Amino acid sequence: MADSTQAAAAPKPSSSVKLVLLGEAAVGKSSLVLRFVNNDFQPNKEPTIGAAFLTQKTHLPTRTIKFEIWDTAGQERFASLAPMYYRNAQAALVVYDVTRASSLGKARHWVAELQRQASPGIVVCLVGNKVDLAEGDDGPDAEEEEGADGEEDGQGEAAAAAAVKPAAVKPAADEGAVRKVSTKEAKAYAEEEGLLFFETSAKSGLNVSEVFTAIANAIPEASLKGGRAGANAAAGAGTQAAIMAGADSSKVNLNAKAGGDKGQEGCAC
Amino acid sequence: MFLSNLVQKAQQLIDPAALPGPLANLTTASSDRPSKAQLFRHQFRLPDTQNPLYEITAELTLPSKPSNRSSGSKARTYQPHPGAGTAKNWDSSNWDRTAEERGTHYVGQLHISEQFLCFSTVNTTFVSTASTSASSAFTGRTHGTGPAGDGFTLPLCAVRRVERLHTQSHMFALAITTWTGQDAGVKGSEAQGLGSGNAPPKLTITLEGSRLQCERFCDGLKKGLRQGMREVENMRVVVAECYSEFFSQGDFEAETSLAVDTRTGADGKEIKPPDTGLGTLFTYPGNTRKLRDRSKMRLWHEYMRDNGRNTTLVRQPDFHRLIRVGLPNLLRGEIWELTSGSLWLRLQKPKQYEETLKKHEGQQSLAIEEIEKDLNRSLPEYAGFQSSEGIGRLRRVLTAYSWTDTEVGYCQAMNIVVAALLIYLNEKQAFYILSTLCDRLLPGYYSQTMYGTLLDQRVFESLVEKTMPIIWDHLQKNDVQLSVVSLPWFLSLYINSFPLTFAFRVLDVFFLEGPKVLFQIGLAILRINGEELLDATDDGTFISVLKSYFARLGESAHPKSENAKHRQITNFQALMVVAFKEFEGITQQTVSEQRVKSKPGVLEGIEMFAKRTSIRNLGPESKKLSANDLGFLYDRFYAVLYERQQRAQMVQAETERRAKVAKTKATEVVSGISTLAPEMGRVALGAASTTIMSYDAFREFLAGVAKWAVTDSPSSPTKPSHEENGGYFNSLRNRNVLTATNAMREWGTGPEPADHEFLQRLFGKWDSEDVGGLSLQNVVSGLAPIKGGRDLMGVIEWFFELYDDDSDGKVDREGILRISEALLFLTRRGVEVGEVEGGAGVGAVGGEGQQSRDERFLGAVSAFIRRCFEYADPDHPSRQAEKEVVEATDLLGLSSSSSDAQKDAGESATDDAMLSRPSTNTFGQTTPASPSPSTPSRNNTAANAALDPSSPVHITLPTFRMLVLADETLEAFFDSGFANSFHLADAPLASSTITSPSFLGAVGQASASASSAMGTANSSLGGGGTVSPASLGLPAISPGGAAAGVVGPGKGLRGVLDNIVTDGMRVAAEVRRRMDEAQKELDRGVSGRTAEADDDDEEGEDMGDLLEGAEADAGGSIRSGRSREASLLDEEVGGKGVVGVERVGSNLSKDTMFER
Ligand SMILES: Nc1nc2c(ncn2[C@@H]2O[C@H](COP(=O)(O)OP(=O)(O)O)[C@@H](O)[C@H]2O)c(=O)[nH]1
Ligand SMILES: [Mg+2]
Repeated sequence: MADSTQAAAAPKPSSSVKLVLLGEAAVGKSSLVLRFVNNDFQPNKEPTIGAAFLTQKTHLPTRTIKFEIWDTAGQERFASLAPMYYRNAQAALVVYDVTRASSLGKARHWVAELQRQASPGIVVCLVGNKVDLAEGDDGPDAEEEEGADGEEDGQGEAAAAAAVKPAAVKPAADEGAVRKVSTKEAKAYAEEEGLLFFETSAKSGLNVSEVFTAIANAIPEASLKGGRAGANAAAGAGTQAAIMAGADSSKVNLNAKAGGDKGQEGCAC
Repeated sequence: MFLSNLVQKAQQLIDPAALPGPLANLTTASSDRPSKAQLFRHQFRLPDTQNPLYEITAELTLPSKPSNRSSGSKARTYQPHPGAGTAKNWDSSNWDRTAEERGTHYVGQLHISEQFLCFSTVNTTFVSTASTSASSAFTGRTHGTGPAGDGFTLPLCAVRRVERLHTQSHMFALAITTWTGQDAGVKGSEAQGLGSGNAPPKLTITLEGSRLQCERFCDGLKKGLRQGMREVENMRVVVAECYSEFFSQGDFEAETSLAVDTRTGADGKEIKPPDTGLGTLFTYPGNTRKLRDRSKMRLWHEYMRDNGRNTTLVRQPDFHRLIRVGLPNLLRGEIWELTSGSLWLRLQKPKQYEETLKKHEGQQSLAIEEIEKDLNRSLPEYAGFQSSEGIGRLRRVLTAYSWTDTEVGYCQAMNIVVAALLIYLNEKQAFYILSTLCDRLLPGYYSQTMYGTLLDQRVFESLVEKTMPIIWDHLQKNDVQLSVVSLPWFLSLYINSFPLTFAFRVLDVFFLEGPKVLFQIGLAILRINGEELLDATDDGTFISVLKSYFARLGESAHPKSENAKHRQITNFQALMVVAFKEFEGITQQTVSEQRVKSKPGVLEGIEMFAKRTSIRNLGPESKKLSANDLGFLYDRFYAVLYERQQRAQMVQAETERRAKVAKTKATEVVSGISTLAPEMGRVALGAASTTIMSYDAFREFLAGVAKWAVTDSPSSPTKPSHEENGGYFNSLRNRNVLTATNAMREWGTGPEPADHEFLQRLFGKWDSEDVGGLSLQNVVSGLAPIKGGRDLMGVIEWFFELYDDDSDGKVDREGILRISEALLFLTRRGVEVGEVEGGAGVGAVGGEGQQSRDERFLGAVSAFIRRCFEYADPDHPSRQAEKEVVEATDLLGLSSSSSDAQKDAGESATDDAMLSRPSTNTFGQTTPASPSPSTPSRNNTAANAALDPSSPVHITLPTFRMLVLADETLEAFFDSGFANSFHLADAPLASSTITSPSFLGAVGQASASASSAMGTANSSLGGGGTVSPASLGLPAISPGGAAAGVVGPGKGLRGVLDNIVTDGMRVAAEVRRRMDEAQKELDRGVSGRTAEADDDDEEGEDMGDLLEGAEADAGGSIRSGRSREASLLDEEVGGKGVVGVERVGSNLSKDTMFER
């Protein structure tokens, strides 16, 4: 499937995709975008008024997708402004925090909202962020743990490059484990609703570019702006088909390294 | 949508234009015209406490100053009246017509409010007879002067002396000396030139009106002046924080450094400069040389010398021009305070800031958490906000504000705005400006729903569409949503978009001229970048075009021009020109009109969003109800809260109207966003102060969905008008007649809800977090088990648990009685069993078939009571029972009909393992626990057994279930009747059904007669001296009934019905009586029966109480509530009555009207 390392060579058809990030405050939306756009992780210094706007390109074998990203503000009251941002978006990242159960509830709300109010073909990706916390990334015992890696790991292995070894749930010492949303639960929900699904870490970078590549792949050619999509465009993949295809792509190793050939541009005016 | 309708209704109700009030008498009429008062306050940016009391046309004469200024006088070339201006010194003592000719003249309107004397060349009148356009003239073009025009806004406490001048003509002429002129008085002459002691001139005002008008005005002024003396100290404290006080002390030309040094005051003491923001500590943004800060300071120094400063400043054309060119650093904050009017707020509550912080010290809140998150990302590029000093100030201002305005609390973007303000203002000043911003200048921007922000984006879009149709079409075609780009401009007042120095220039004009400036600048940005924007086809390009433009604001607008002058014009200057010249026609009125137009759509959008959000977050239980039902419940829930809030506010508004205090903040004319009472509480305005339903609101809510929740005995005192209008639904069209009463009616236009023990239990059960109130989620979760699909066993269990107070699986004697009462209460208007089809037939109550069903039901309840006691378990232990109970239920075939039931039975059996049941409980077989020799029937025996207080009894869930299932009428009730009694979306309760009294009346009558029968029955029993057990629980004959004039059997079906009710209740009454009696005996340790008759009488009353008393009580409290209201009103009126004008003796000196 997609391998963006081969990009660069010849100019490929490029189209822009408007993408909106939604989710409870502090789940890591801005961090995800920052990771994707700048391959960086740092406390957010940008004041966000309404929504921050950033762009980033993703290269697919047949085309280049320029993401126009609207990172919506964190505060609850800004939620009523959200329709302004998702109104004509082609893709949406609905983010929750795997260490906070309430955030999945909020994510469900946004999914329902998008399904009902956004443009019909919108590609929605459910993203469980901060898996580094859940998997004891820097927890002292995490490395020692073995065996018991049950249903918890999601697409973890996919990004072998990222030095994250999916570990089991934290030991009982920290009862009520860090992880509050199981992969299984979220995945089942995503499947039920026909959403792309990833677990990510903006901190480690795990799965971040994969999310965007999957979305890029899932956008139906037909809905791309400019319409001058590549000649070998998949024969009119319906939204649903595209979404399913995208979901599969999460299983493939897409170790596209963020950086290099990516045009960058950020703005929070 | 429902809220809009409500708003409309409510608006009709308190349309201020319809309020009565004397037209001519300004002193009393002002408050009857809240909108006039608001307009007045908006024009002069006065606090909400101010009302226009007197006004008169007048001419203001200001002396022309000797032009001993050296350089900076260029800006001061304008003379409004030709021929004005000589070098002659102003001297009031030989004031005459010729002297009057000299100087600068302004004709305008002079106004007095409680604490201010205002003059404006923008001719506005706020008398009650004035047209709206005459009162809102200031919202039109103001040619850069801002709404207040040229003139002054003088707090009366700043007036030192008022002299009545001797004139040759018959005019009234006043010379006003302000307190800043005082020093001059002490220090003497103007000959000292620029040095300290320069006195601003007296303000000479010629009144133009009839003698009577003039005198009246002067009287008003005198009175205000006298009261103003009390605030002189306040004012001194407040102005001490104004840089101009320090500034005016020195000789400007002699100063080298403006900020850091100290000066010597008039009294020889060293004076330190006041805190003028973080800028003094961390330098002000921009290059002061390039900003020509020093020349600006000189110009201001001159201006203030001639025209007064801070509280006494007179606005002449130079004032506005000096603002347009950008304020100098040290005076910026002070002029913002002055032009925005926040200075008056600070003057009014000088300690509010410190006190708020102190009061809430150490307290936590959501707002504070959110503030903390943003402190480090508020203008992080400014050095002051990389220091704890700056962060600390920002934290304190935001925190203090969040406590004073909890509806706004904290909204992202406020951090940026306040951070910017703090560069030029001290904490306190920033706090008051923030308050002015949130209340007046940016209404609704930072509110919970941010409706103001959304609304103004819509307004902006429509202005773009009107003024730049080509760009607009282009945006539409390319699906670029303008507001995502422009929203931050408005929300952060361009601070986050423009380089700081330019953002502050915008703020300078914004505070003077108001919100329309934001629109003008926005339009100009698009106009200037029009061509490039027409090439942009996506958000990204659109944004980057503008971003790069903002970065170039300081560059030359015409870099290639031959003309050096042209080359000097920066992009920013060009922007200002386009904004204020080309878009001069965009006035506050334009904005307001557009807001009014866009508002319904915006509010509806927000409300729909809020509704969707809310419904999705109702928890898992909500899934049991249909989407329609949830929507319905949402609407009902908020409609009740909203209506109640409206009523409360109308009561309050009425109170205030009478008390002559108009509290509302703005009008549509000024802002397009009315904060008049009717809109408060609207979800989209974020002002729904409550999302929790009190018990009374809950009753009202239920009365709208269930017939049984409507009272049988309305207590409303406005009965006649109700009848006129056919029922309790007053026609709003008759509002002129009914307005007041409607607004004051405790239950508004809906039916009056009943009060009953069942309602209290229901409320308690639904209030799962035990907070004394219900959220929508509570209501939905509460209804879900009842309405969520047919579940006979579930509902029976639910009902049982409702009465199992201590959750021990047992309901005692008292509970049994209460259950019976509740069943009667719930079914007194009939039962709808089976599937309800689409709301049809719901109103069929009272039909023949229905009636016989009702009759059956009454019989069933009656039987239920008997059986309850028959099958009740004694509380005393003696093992065995569990199994048999299960068997008993099995006998009823329960195990096959519901495995749940089986399980429950098992469970409760286990729970009760340590308790015992007598073997008497097997179905169909009874062994009385304490047999009575005179028992005429098995039933009575059982009842008597149950009545024996020495052997308390209870029923368990299995027993209850068995008893319900044993009776098909009861079974049907629990199967569907109860659920159907809640009318949600699929079968909404037609309002007429609630009040159509066909059956209702009968029931009312029945229960009334029942209760009276009870009394009679009991007393007759008591009168007999002995209670024959035989007479207990015998439904067939009602001993006291006929004699007491109760509808007898002879009256046909109706009578039978009544008798059944009576019987059922009599059983209950008797049981209760016996219990109480026995209890008393036990308590006394006496076995003899004495004073029974007395007890009986009481019993009778008690019984009445059970079914009706509660309602009567509610009625009583309503009534007393009303009278309390009335007295409140009276008090208020009495309290404020003194506001009238104190007549001042006309023998006061004509020369000096006032002096201190
Ligand atoms: N450990 C961890 N922390 C994260 C991750 N993503 C974000 N955070 C932290 O979560 C907080 C909120 O992040 P932010 O991006 O501002 O959330 P937003 O409100 O959704 O935009 C910040 O303190 C981040 O440093 C992650 O993947 N792992
Ligand atoms: Mg964010």
